[in-house]
Amino acid sequence: MIQLKTKGPRVIFHVDMNSFYASVEMAYNPRLKGKPLAIAGNPEERKGIIVTSSYEARSKGIKTTMNLWEARKLCPELIVMRPNFDRYRAASREMFKMLSDITPFVQPVSIDEGYMDVTDSLIDGNPLQIAHELQQRISEELDLPCSIGIAPNKFLAKMASDMKKPMGITVLRKREIQKILWPLPIEEMYGVGEKTAIKLKKVGVETIGDLAKKDVYELKQILGINGERLQNRANGVDPRPVDPDAIYEFKSIGSSQTLPYDTTNEKEIQQLMESLCNNVERRLNRKEAAGKSVQLMIRFHDRKTITRSKKLMNYIESKEEILQVANELLQLHWNGEPIRLIGVTVQDINEKQHIGKQLNLFTYEKEQDREKLYSTIEDLSKKYGKNPFKQWKKEDDQEDQPRTSFQKDFLDDYKR
Amino acid sequence: MKFIINRQKLISGLQDVMKAISSRTVVPILTGVKLEAAKEGITLTGSDSDITIKYFIPAVEEFVDKKTDEADEEMDNKKINAEIIQEGSIVLHAKYFPDIIRKLPEETVEIEMDPQLKVAIRSGKALFHLNGQDPDEYPLLPELQTEDSFELSTNTLKALIKQTVFAVATMESRPILTGVQIKLLDNKLTFSATDSHRLAMQEIPVDDAQTEITSLVIPGKSLNELNKILTDNDEKIEISVTNNQILFRTENLYFLSRLLDGKYPETSRLIPEESKTALQIKTKELLHTIDRASLLAKDDHNNVVRLTTNDNNSAEISSNSPEVGTVTEEIGIQSMEGEDLKISFSSKYMMDALKAIDFDEVKIEFTGAMRPFIIRPVNGAEILQLILPIRTY
Repeated sequence: MIQLKTKGPRVIFHVDMNSFYASVEMAYNPRLKGKPLAIAGNPEERKGIIVTSSYEARSKGIKTTMNLWEARKLCPELIVMRPNFDRYRAASREMFKMLSDITPFVQPVSIDEGYMDVTDSLIDGNPLQIAHELQQRISEELDLPCSIGIAPNKFLAKMASDMKKPMGITVLRKREIQKILWPLPIEEMYGVGEKTAIKLKKVGVETIGDLAKKDVYELKQILGINGERLQNRANGVDPRPVDPDAIYEFKSIGSSQTLPYDTTNEKEIQQLMESLCNNVERRLNRKEAAGKSVQLMIRFHDRKTITRSKKLMNYIESKEEILQVANELLQLHWNGEPIRLIGVTVQDINEKQHIGKQLNLFTYEKEQDREKLYSTIEDLSKKYGKNPFKQWKKEDDQEDQPRTSFQKDFLDDYKR
Repeated sequence: MKFIINRQKLISGLQDVMKAISSRTVVPILTGVKLEAAKEGITLTGSDSDITIKYFIPAVEEFVDKKTDEADEEMDNKKINAEIIQEGSIVLHAKYFPDIIRKLPEETVEIEMDPQLKVAIRSGKALFHLNGQDPDEYPLLPELQTEDSFELSTNTLKALIKQTVFAVATMESRPILTGVQIKLLDNKLTFSATDSHRLAMQEIPVDDAQTEITSLVIPGKSLNELNKILTDNDEKIEISVTNNQILFRTENLYFLSRLLDGKYPETSRLIPEESKTALQIKTKELLHTIDRASLLAKDDHNNVVRLTTNDNNSAEISSNSPEVGTVTEEIGIQSMEGEDLKISFSSKYMMDALKAIDFDEVKIEFTGAMRPFIIRPVNGAEILQLILPIRTY
């Protein structure tokens, strides 16, 4: 396995695709270029919200998470499209391939952004030149715009990529942070969300510079350990390495859905439970994983939310098994009040190659037919190293439109 | 109702019937324990409608006391447990009554009920007044009218339970598997239990059984409770069966359990009849080796251990947890027949099975890495433990 040299200053890129979904649609259909375009969850349903929009739309005041009707009021000529996740996933895969051509140290963080540690690749040119070539290549081959931040660590690279959009390349040196980073309002700092910003403003922290100079003890009082971490970042310190394996560390897989209306109808709830378990099964399958704990989340009409889970003796992966446990939890914990949202999550997940499958007395004969195949694989693995075969999985298409928490799923395609 | 009773006797009786009482029950009065005082003695009853336990404390107990230090003369002894002053019955809340009795100061306790169902409990200078409930509201227990009965010694029954009940399913996904199946055919009594990953079975001969049982399934929970109540001795226990209930009766104990509805899967045909590899191993040695190997895989990864046969009459037990580490241990084999083998299985299932076999040496018969294997004592009872292996990817 390749090891990252840990000593010395590093050069980190943060590559951020500009309004990714909208840009992919424009690449597919160039006639959309230059027009206000928005991608929205479910254009027909009342709760459809904007997932992303083109720069043309943004200039009219359209923002992510805005309601559709609100957006249409601001911009009547807005073109609204449903998401085509397969397209985005394919584009993302190609994009990450290009990143991997430069260095093996690529850490995807979501479908449209990732970090690269290019320190060891600098023999091929200076960082600015590498960034420029990468941006050009993504633009020419995929017709997609991106911004790249170049800095000595992940945090600064992330902040840098945000500074010039679209198609920007920004270098943020550590000695420049007082001039460039510190004057920025605190809510623009990566890692500071709405709630953290409110807390910080209460103690007089208005800019990133204020945070950098604030008493650590006071910060820890209001933000805990995160307070110190944020202050370090404000001072340009971020020791996190670029970890190509980070995407494989998943602990749970879940699927949740809000109902278009509150319901107590058991049949409807049952249908939803089934479709959620279906999603979870498919995603477990794609990750070639299984889990041994099931969590059920119920949000009631008054937004009160409960989560209840059950630990199991064995790993499970099939829809039937997940549904069985989820239903047990529902029976036990649903008080009959109208339900607005249900979520099913499988936890304590492990990749199947790390776990065994406990055979079943009543079904083992079916598995047996494959016994020969497995022993052959084992023999060949001994000869040629790690399992040289991969089970052929049918590419599932339209059916496979994730509904929630899809952001990380694309990662499965990467490096397979 | 009024009686004076030996406190220790009452405590041990209450302990037994309490096993059937649950604080969460649909019938409120079942959260109570029923006391009945009659001339012959005191009867305690507890029930959660699945299990009912009755315990009888005779007013006067006669027993033969063997005195060895004096002459070889057997002396008849009488022991007075209770003095019944007035007959009657009452239901008292099981949350309070047993604790009160346990903590009273003197050796005896006097219990007296007034017409308003208030019960006075006196011992030494302590006096409790406890509100009781009307015994007429307590559900009538079904009287088992059956001639279909057979007898076992308590020891034997306890052994049968211990060797099988651990293998019942704990998940409710197939309710019938949460019970132990019982068969009585051709004067052979068979207990079997499976959670579909392993199966435990024992068969014993029964003399002059009055009846045949093709299949009935007792909830594992009932048998666990019964096992806790029964003391290890060779007293006879009478077992009678109706369509939906089973009764275990000793001199002073009456244990009634509901049976599970449904069809128990046919398991005998799932037991392989021939083997490809057979090993004989010292039971304790194997148990301890597996126990050590499972240390690394504690809660994770199905608790997998691997067994690999070597050429020189030994085998290797190994386990690895990627994040923790690895372990291997060589174990001596008494004898081996057949092909070499490499197989993975749950250490927990293996240990459960080995613990249930109370013999020095076991024979393990394998029919392949993906097929069930069987563990039996080398010479001895008809105990069979079957385990399904774990397929590693």
